[in-house]
Amino acid sequence: MSKIIIKLAFWLNGSPAYQKTKGFIKDLFYDPDNPYKKYIDSTMIFLILTSVTILVYEVRNPVPAWMDFYDIYIVSMLFLFEYLLRLWVHSDFHKYVMEEHEQSKFLHKPFSLRVPVKKIVKSKLEFIVSPSAIIDLLAILPAYRPLRILRIFVLFRVFKLLRYTKSINQFVEVLANKRFELLTLLFLLLFIVVTAGIAIYVFEETKNPHITTLFDAFYWALVTISTVGYGDISPVTTEGKAVSMVIIVSGIAMISFVTSVIVSAFSEKLDELKENRIIEDLNKNDKFIIICGYGQLAKMFLRQEEELKDAYVIIDKDSERVRQAIKDGYQAIHDDASRHDVISKFDLKYANITVLCLTNSDIENIYISLNVKSLSRDIHVIARATDESMHQKFKLAGVDHILTPSNVANVMLRTAIHQPILYNGMQAILTGKNIANIDEVMVFQHAKLIGKKINEIDFTQYKILFMGIQRGIDGEFIFNPNRELEFEHDDILLMMGVRISIEHFKKNYKGTDHG
Amino acid sequence: MDKQAFLFGYGRQGRSLAKSLRTDHFRLHIIESTPEYYEKAKSDKFLDVILVDVTSDAELEALHIDDDSYIVCVMEDEHLNVFLTLSLRALYPNATIVAISDSLYTTQKLKMAGANKIIDIYKVSAYRIHNMLVRPVATKLLDSFISDDSKISFREMLIPKGSFLHGMMVEEVNFSEYGILLVGMLDIELSNKFIFITSGIDHKLDSGDTIVCMGYNEDLDRFRELITQKETPA
Repeated sequence: MSKIIIKLAFWLNGSPAYQKTKGFIKDLFYDPDNPYKKYIDSTMIFLILTSVTILVYEVRNPVPAWMDFYDIYIVSMLFLFEYLLRLWVHSDFHKYVMEEHEQSKFLHKPFSLRVPVKKIVKSKLEFIVSPSAIIDLLAILPAYRPLRILRIFVLFRVFKLLRYTKSINQFVEVLANKRFELLTLLFLLLFIVVTAGIAIYVFEETKNPHITTLFDAFYWALVTISTVGYGDISPVTTEGKAVSMVIIVSGIAMISFVTSVIVSAFSEKLDELKENRIIEDLNKNDKFIIICGYGQLAKMFLRQEEELKDAYVIIDKDSERVRQAIKDGYQAIHDDASRHDVISKFDLKYANITVLCLTNSDIENIYISLNVKSLSRDIHVIARATDESMHQKFKLAGVDHILTPSNVANVMLRTAIHQPILYNGMQAILTGKNIANIDEVMVFQHAKLIGKKINEIDFTQYKILFMGIQRGIDGEFIFNPNRELEFEHDDILLMMGVRISIEHFKKNYKGTDHG
Repeated sequence: MDKQAFLFGYGRQGRSLAKSLRTDHFRLHIIESTPEYYEKAKSDKFLDVILVDVTSDAELEALHIDDDSYIVCVMEDEHLNVFLTLSLRALYPNATIVAISDSLYTTQKLKMAGANKIIDIYKVSAYRIHNMLVRPVATKLLDSFISDDSKISFREMLIPKGSFLHGMMVEEVNFSEYGILLVGMLDIELSNKFIFITSGIDHKLDSGDTIVCMGYNEDLDRFRELITQKETPA
């Protein structure tokens, strides 16, 4: 028996299909960046809203049979199915079995199923007693029609919404942060209600026809302290009136206190909530840029942003600079990009991210690069180095492109001195002035070029300077190639010209290749 | 005679510049106003280092900078740099002043202060990031222009007297035959402005014009020799 179970455990562990399915479902439920999660969430929200509507409508009106069928079989069954799936992905039985098997082999003791079973039961129980799982379970119950009282559990379907809507979750989270203050106030409230209730009970139980039990007294105290004051019970004796006066005053104090606690909780968290929202919005894009450091270089880069339509966010450690960035109209977050948890908030799994390390300090830039690359090798990192001597270090850190502004300045300066005429041209090219705009033309997007020889195309007519070809994405760049060369599907042409010239050229050769 | 270059400022930028200028044929003078940087320049084995109070006109005048010298202003303090540019322009109206700016606003101020050429280091770098993101092939080529040991580069060439290019229209010359590309030119007949080939005007080449070409270094060297010849080379 145990042998079969061990074998099964190992087989499950080795089965890619099983692992993949389980991983996929787990990801679907718990990874907020999963692209399919939003469909699951909106379906669940739809199911909840329709079933609640049906159940509420049913209170007074008869409903058609198909609605009942929908509510019991479709909604509840799906809820049950979801619950079971969550229970299933919560922990792996086969892992416990394997662990025990390994240990018993190591210690030369007989394998016993007891330990892994105990472990798995414990871990599954952990899931079952967690608040969200309890809500899920109770939300299934209204499906059992014979017991009308179970209908009240429809409320849990509403609670279930919590799981699928982010903003309510955030509200609860914010309040949970003030747990201590709120609990203190709750105890104070209880204390006043109990003492006032007992006092009024003692003073008026015999004289007031409305107060007959201690419960009436507590009810009156709570209604009074909350400043609701229904007026169904009111004190008749002087002592009773005195008690009311005291609790009315303390009630006002307490309400303002509670309000201030909640307001301060939100204002403390406001920046964080805003920043989280920025990150969430960013994660919806499949391609975005993270700019670390809001200095001159970053400013200059963003100024040229018009051409680049990608989503971006600025991260800076310095709150002053973040404020400046926001004032300049950019999306910025006050945080430290060299920290692991800051970068991991981004959708590293599904998005195509470029990180620009543009701070003034090499140490900072290297640290950020290392941090980013340690989280995902696929992230494209462009970093700024103050000096050529730093390049080696940046390369070791895995940086894809290194920028050295001072290096550029050196070359420009030497050009300015040695070749002053060239300098003007070079500056225009290097800053991307319209007259000296260098652009790429992908042949596969301009299929009319395929098979044509270079000298068959009159670049001069387009007022374009044809500079060279790159064969394939990672191919070799051929500068000023032989004019007999034919264009191929994967070629990328490099040319210089006024923007409208190149646009015109692209338009004339546009077309997709079906070959 | 070697040209003279006066480098004002031996801060972060100044240091890196001084090192790169050391390899060229210059008589390099380094001028600093802070003792700390002055000492640093000395310890980096630069021979001609002068400690000067750059805010004093009398001391600047004592440097006796010639008209054909280059003045490079890269003081660490941005305000001082603009002030220095202004003072130097007033003292030496004909010298070429090159200044390095780190923001758009400084660029404007330096221009007003009278600098001939202003290198905005971040503008170039910011454009490079753009290229890296959208035009990877162009980036490779542009990067090669700003690295010292690239095979492909730009070169300006003066068309000498009696060159075969004299009197020819740009369209008549097949530059790519020589392995190079004509990027633009400075036509002294028209104006003193640099004209890119992409502006599409057909120019007549004259001796005295300066053309800017791009190509492999060997091809550029060969072409420079060729244009001294009278006959169109076969």
